[in-house]
Amino acid sequence: MRSFRSLSTRLTVQFALLFAAAMLAVSAALSTFIAGAASREVEGQLQSSGAVYDRLWEERANELQNAAQLLARDFGFRAAVATGDQATMQSALGNAAARLKVRSAFIVTADGKITAVDPSIPAAETRQLWDPLDEGRLIGVSVLSGRPRQLVAAPIMAPTLIGWVVFAADLDPREMRGLERLSAIPLHAAVLAQAKGRWLEAAGSMSALSGETASLAESHVRTGAAFEMRVAGEKSIVLAKPLPTFADGQRAILLLAYPKSQALADARKLQLALAAMTFLGLLLMGFATWRAAGRITQPLARLDEAAGRLATGEHVQVRVRGSDELARLATSFNEMVGKIVEREQRITQLAFNDVLTGLPNRTMFHQQLEQLFRASEGNGSLFALHCLDLDQFKAINDTLGHPAGDALLVEAAQRLRHAARGSFVGRLGGDEFVVLQSVGPDRGAIDRLARDILSAIAQPLTIDGNELVPSTSIGIAIAPDDGNDGGTLLRNADLALYRAKEAGRGTYAFFEESLNQRAQERRQLESDLRLALERGEFELHYQPLFDLEQNRICSFEALLRWNHPKRGLISPADFVPVAEDTGLIVPIGAWVIREACAEAADWPGQIRVAVNVSPVQFHRGALHETILRALATTGLAPNRLEIEITESIFLEGGETTLRLLHALRAIGVRVALDDFGTGYSSLSYLQSFPFDKLKIDRSFIHNLLTRDGASAIVHAITELANALGIETTAEGVEETAQLMELRAHGCSSVQGFLFAEPMTAADVSQLFRDDRIALSDVA
Amino acid sequence: MVRRFLVFAAGLLLTAPLAAAVLTVRVVDAAGRPVRDAVVTFYPSAGARTPRPGGHYVISQQNLQFHPFLTIVPVGADISFPNFDNTKHHVYSFSPAKRFELKLFAKDQSRTVHFEKAGVVALGCNIHDQMSAFIVVADSAWTARTNAQGTVEFGDAPNAPGRITVWHPYLRAPNGTMQQGLALNQHSASFSVRLRPPPPSMPMDY
Repeated sequence: MRSFRSLSTRLTVQFALLFAAAMLAVSAALSTFIAGAASREVEGQLQSSGAVYDRLWEERANELQNAAQLLARDFGFRAAVATGDQATMQSALGNAAARLKVRSAFIVTADGKITAVDPSIPAAETRQLWDPLDEGRLIGVSVLSGRPRQLVAAPIMAPTLIGWVVFAADLDPREMRGLERLSAIPLHAAVLAQAKGRWLEAAGSMSALSGETASLAESHVRTGAAFEMRVAGEKSIVLAKPLPTFADGQRAILLLAYPKSQALADARKLQLALAAMTFLGLLLMGFATWRAAGRITQPLARLDEAAGRLATGEHVQVRVRGSDELARLATSFNEMVGKIVEREQRITQLAFNDVLTGLPNRTMFHQQLEQLFRASEGNGSLFALHCLDLDQFKAINDTLGHPAGDALLVEAAQRLRHAARGSFVGRLGGDEFVVLQSVGPDRGAIDRLARDILSAIAQPLTIDGNELVPSTSIGIAIAPDDGNDGGTLLRNADLALYRAKEAGRGTYAFFEESLNQRAQERRQLESDLRLALERGEFELHYQPLFDLEQNRICSFEALLRWNHPKRGLISPADFVPVAEDTGLIVPIGAWVIREACAEAADWPGQIRVAVNVSPVQFHRGALHETILRALATTGLAPNRLEIEITESIFLEGGETTLRLLHALRAIGVRVALDDFGTGYSSLSYLQSFPFDKLKIDRSFIHNLLTRDGASAIVHAITELANALGIETTAEGVEETAQLMELRAHGCSSVQGFLFAEPMTAADVSQLFRDDRIALSDVA
Repeated sequence: MVRRFLVFAAGLLLTAPLAAAVLTVRVVDAAGRPVRDAVVTFYPSAGARTPRPGGHYVISQQNLQFHPFLTIVPVGADISFPNFDNTKHHVYSFSPAKRFELKLFAKDQSRTVHFEKAGVVALGCNIHDQMSAFIVVADSAWTARTNAQGTVEFGDAPNAPGRITVWHPYLRAPNGTMQQGLALNQHSASFSVRLRPPPPSMPMDY
């Protein structure tokens, strides 16, 4: 079985063999049963025929015996026998025999004398009957003069037994034929009798008696069962019944034969029909099994094939028929395929798309980029890469929370996708988006798309009840002019983006080679900056602040100087933004605080030192710890340290900033608000935090005498500060007239070239040694 | 009846001329069981004697039966046949010893028959087949029936050779009789007999 490769064949063969075996077994059993039943029926018919014969025999015997008894009881007859009246005996006997149609009749007297009416029977044979008669035998078969006969006797009592009347009826063919006619089946009947060891056939239609058949019949007499024998050259079913014999040592058998061909004809027909039906059944069953196996295995084969195709990556579906287990399996298979497809798409989506916005991700962008490069190499076409960066995104994310930031990103992505229909739009991460635009001969299309994007993004929107007006900056690089590979093109577009940001945000800029130059310079600056702290290239200069009420120096502002080994002195305006971008401002700022505190500790007790603190330090540096450590190591009194901050620190993380400021103020550190009056100056800051000092931006001082209103603003600021109990410092005072004006407005202190330029620490020490504290001459 | 017969036997004893001896005859059946009421007769070759004739015997018919069933009488005895039944009887005998018919005699009628010839007489009734009786007309003085032990003892049998016959109504032998010779000084004989079953109406121990 194992050699069958196909399940269908295996099922067919197995079930067909099984059914065939069962069917053949049933058929064989049925056939045997039919044969047995037929045999039993034939035997039963033979038995009943035998019983009929028994009855016939009995009736005949009764008839004869009644006649014999009637005769034996006749007084006259008895008297005749008793007295040996031969004539009377003969006539009475003859009369009775004739009436009974019996050929032979005789009287056997108790003393063995015979009186017979049939002279054909030898007296010697008749005399032999005396013994059985004397033993009481009255009925039985006996062979007389070579012929079996039925003998019936009646005793003659006068009143003692004086003899017997005996009638001997012939068992002739006529009688046998009568028996044959009485039977329900076409049988042959015969009586066999044995006399002197020789079997004689009494009568019957068999006429084929042989010693062999006789002994066969004899051997079956005792069992009473039917047997098979050849009768008249024909195989027959034969029943042998013993017949009572008159004398001991004699035997008589009734043979009833039923030709087998006739007896089993019906059974044969039935068996033939059964065989035909079995054969037909086997054929039908084989076919049905084959079909059924096909029905079972066909869907399996289809599933097998579909599974194979699925393995090669094809998304197949199998047809579902019916509602059985196989159908359910097929349905499950289809569902599985569907889910696999779905999962594949999801995996692809995850691999190539941004989960938040649904836009293609960086991986897909690079693929797309490469594809465009290849296309560009082939046909010389141009394409533009737009790099976008949402303006102020970080601030929005920090103030409104990440969910709001995400919502903004999703909205921006949608607007971008809409604005740049037909172009590839992707998100590289954070708030960075890219658009790949194929460009034809009209380069103006690039500008148009950039403007469309800007205006689309700039539409106001509401997130969590906050109205926002987002904006974006775009840097554009055009391939292949601005880069022959994806990396270069993207870097150049980024540079253009920086430029757009520098240009004031909400605008776009094209990449130019000069940008590349600047970027390289900046990178150089960055790496130099990293080394500057280690190499001790930084230096602090101190610019004094002059107290207008006490007419003396009250404080120094520490100003950072970088002595670049090659480029010389570099302005903080050039390197501080870079330090802030790279985070280097944190260690640099910490150094500044330590250095300033250490220096100020040597100064006279009333002189304070002011240090500028970048917002980056607030947010990323451990400013609080840095200040505490600096104060602890230098022993500078906290109230002699003044940190100068700008409003920009409030743009990010307001609460945290306020807590930190309060903490610093709690230990006594003074806080000054620098560059007051520019930027987003908001009076609410003054309310939310008790600043120690406002530093009025140098632009107001510069215009103090020349521009209308400047004086009023300075006046308003000093008035406001005085009202709030806050000191004021005017920066950038260069002229005496300005000083006069400021004094008039009630400004607390001034700072500027008019008094002193920033000086080295050594100069400050010298200044204190010369005890030229009061520069009142100037005032 | 038996008593009467014993008286008769005693009479024989008194008149014995020869030297007498006891002769014992035993009758058994095929299985060796004693057969009673078999009639044993000894015929000595010398000193034979007939029983004394005369005497009156009765065989009645009552309840459709003869009574008694077996009667031993000497030659020349008279037997009367009174009828005590309400029916008529037709008593007959075809026996060679005495053939007679007493046709249809009614209740309380009695007929007498003279038996002058020795032999067994089988009595029947032509009307009632089941009626049966036997008369043994003895011609030898040594005639007796076996007792319950199946034996007969003749105390005065002459010491002479002779023959002994045994008759029984159901004995399977011609005329229901078997015989054997007795040698001189033989004082006992034994018979083994085969009996056929009695007719259904007849009890075995009649």
